[in-house]
Amino acid sequence: MIKFKGVNKWFGKLHVLRDINLHVTPGEVVVVCGPSGSGKSTLIRCINRLEKFQKGELFVDGTPLHDHSTNLTKLRAEIGFLFQQFHLYPHMTALQNVTLAPINVRKMKRSDAEELGREKLIRVGLADKADSYPTQLSGGQQQRVAIARGLAMAPKIMLFDEPTSALDPEMIGEVLDVMIKLASEGMTMCVVTHEMGFARQVAHRVIFMDEGSLVETGSPHDFFDNPQTDRAAQFISKILTH
Amino acid sequence: MMLFYFERLVEILPFFLKGLWMTVVVAGISLLLGTFFGLLLGIARTSGNKLLVGLIGAYVAVIRGTPFVVQIFIVFFILPEWGIQLDALPAAILALTILGTAFICEIVAGGIKAVPKGQWEAAQSSGLTLYQQLRYVIVPQSLQTILPPLVGQYVLLIKDSSVVSVIGVVELTRVGWLTVVRIPEGLMVFSLVGILYFAISYPLIRLSNRLEKKMATQQMML
Amino acid sequence: MLEGLNFRVLWEYMPFFMEGLRNTFLISIVSLFLALIVGIIACACRLSPWKLVRGLSIVYIESIRSTPLLVQIYFFYFGLPTLGLRVPELQTGIIALMLNSGAYIAEIVRAGITSVPNGQIEAGISSGLNYFQRMRFIILPQALGVTVPPLLGQAIVLVKDSALLSMISVMELTRCGQTLTSERFMPTEAFFTVAFFYLCIYFVLKSMADWSQKKLIFREAY
Ligand SMILES: Nc1ncnc2c1ncn2[C@@H]1O[C@H](COP(=O)(O)OP(=O)(O)OP(=O)(O)O)[C@@H](O)[C@H]1O
Ligand SMILES: [Mg+2]
Repeated sequence: MIKFKGVNKWFGKLHVLRDINLHVTPGEVVVVCGPSGSGKSTLIRCINRLEKFQKGELFVDGTPLHDHSTNLTKLRAEIGFLFQQFHLYPHMTALQNVTLAPINVRKMKRSDAEELGREKLIRVGLADKADSYPTQLSGGQQQRVAIARGLAMAPKIMLFDEPTSALDPEMIGEVLDVMIKLASEGMTMCVVTHEMGFARQVAHRVIFMDEGSLVETGSPHDFFDNPQTDRAAQFISKILTH
Repeated sequence: MMLFYFERLVEILPFFLKGLWMTVVVAGISLLLGTFFGLLLGIARTSGNKLLVGLIGAYVAVIRGTPFVVQIFIVFFILPEWGIQLDALPAAILALTILGTAFICEIVAGGIKAVPKGQWEAAQSSGLTLYQQLRYVIVPQSLQTILPPLVGQYVLLIKDSSVVSVIGVVELTRVGWLTVVRIPEGLMVFSLVGILYFAISYPLIRLSNRLEKKMATQQMML
Repeated sequence: MLEGLNFRVLWEYMPFFMEGLRNTFLISIVSLFLALIVGIIACACRLSPWKLVRGLSIVYIESIRSTPLLVQIYFFYFGLPTLGLRVPELQTGIIALMLNSGAYIAEIVRAGITSVPNGQIEAGISSGLNYFQRMRFIILPQALGVTVPPLLGQAIVLVKDSALLSMISVMELTRCGQTLTSERFMPTEAFFTVAFFYLCIYFVLKSMADWSQKKLIFREAY
């Protein structure tokens, strides 16, 4: 589904991704972790080309991303992306946020799109918030609207960049619940997160990044209980005591 | 011909510098007075005394809502009708001070309102008097929000001081006006006037921008 | 003090004031419209990738912002004839107002566009919206929200600024006051009437600005 082959990226002189090789299969849930500044965000932002990379090959659903003739807009419509800071459109209601892309990218009729949007809002448990503006919602509710917004495009892949780290602790659960449900329904997901419980429960694979390289990858069980590298072990002990 | 006028202009450059000095004096004095009274009224405006707040609000609205030329005509022509005889220079300083006070009072009130309520309560709880609360807790914190627009306001006041030329104060703009009658090179004369204004306002504009940026980064670190 | 006002003369001059009021209106609207065009073009240049274009727009914006409007008006009034251009006072005044407000509007528009957070644009990109759809549905509605209130503020400034055209004998509201003063020597009647009309315009524009401030600004909620 997603295939990195020797991907390298620089920000000016800073080498942020070093020779990334990674293969994510359909229906797989991959959790990416690592210290701050290790390049996790950059990695998953490459998958929908919010970031360009300079060297290597990246295929998403068979489409080559390193090829400049690729129709990015079309590809992006197939990939849902969740931001740490939600980025809901503040001038639109929850429902309008969800239906904007279906109407304008998928060219759905407004009534159909609204039906679809309400269905997605029900799925994230926000049936009654359709007409609320983002400022009237809590952080957890905003992030769930953002998930509904992603789902409304019926994506083949969902990418999450630290979806819970801007939330108050008591709201993290409600967002993770929605994500766990998604994973159990067979969605292909790449999740940057430090939520160990989530990783243990649903991840098929955990990837550990440090200084732009994939240092270690393995099942959650192996990774957390029996890390192979010192750096990973150090990192795990740090987030566990956190 | 142009060159001839240019040389004449260089000859009377001291006249322009004198005008610039007058601009600095008029603007400087009213800016100091305006800051002082603006600070007082700004604090009074957040006091919660309804009558006081209403009166200050009305004063600010009248000043913001009318052109400065009209204000200066009122000060210069109408005060004498009520028996207050003012020369051009004091009239100019009075009018500019009234103008500056109104704008600065709004800036100060805005800055004070931006300080979180908890800070007032904390200062009260530690038993500070109202003056001490303002002096040590509230004003220093609101200074951050106040300073950039305050410096920006100084630039506006300096520019507005050009209008006092209409009642005959011989400041920079008036000098240009008097000169252009003798040296009919409007572009040259008023370019020179413009450059001299630029020399005092532009550094202040830069300062205001710098303060604003500095404030933004400080807020991010909070 | 009001009982001393000579209402009979005021009444006699009322049609005259009405014409002045109308002219102030027309001058302001025409200049605002032209200034919007100038401002948008200057802002586009300011954000352009070409250094020369950007540099020129910065010179324009900064030199306007750091010199007084009255000097700019005199610059064109005394300057255009030295270039051999015979432009009537009214048009000269409108050119000055247009270029002056244009520079401020350029900065207002720029602030509006750069105020839309980058994440908003990325969110749009991620859901597959193309450039025009992002502009239409995400950037412009939010940029407009932060642009309209200061634009209305600039409209208020422009109306007041137009009073300075009285200095080059354009028959607008303030000039009417001066005329009444010189013909009948009634400065009190004259300038209180003028101030009253300006205040009316101010309150209308101000309440529009306040309303738009409440209605149109959208902040990202975290
Ligand atoms: N737009 C950019 N321009 C220059 N450098 C950047 C840019 N974005 C990220 N970087 C740098 O690239 C490196 C990797 O950043 P990235 O955001 O991918 O890290 P991260 O692992 O997601 O960290 P965090 O856990 O803090 O989110 C960092 O050193 C960062 O400073
Ligand atoms: Mg990150």
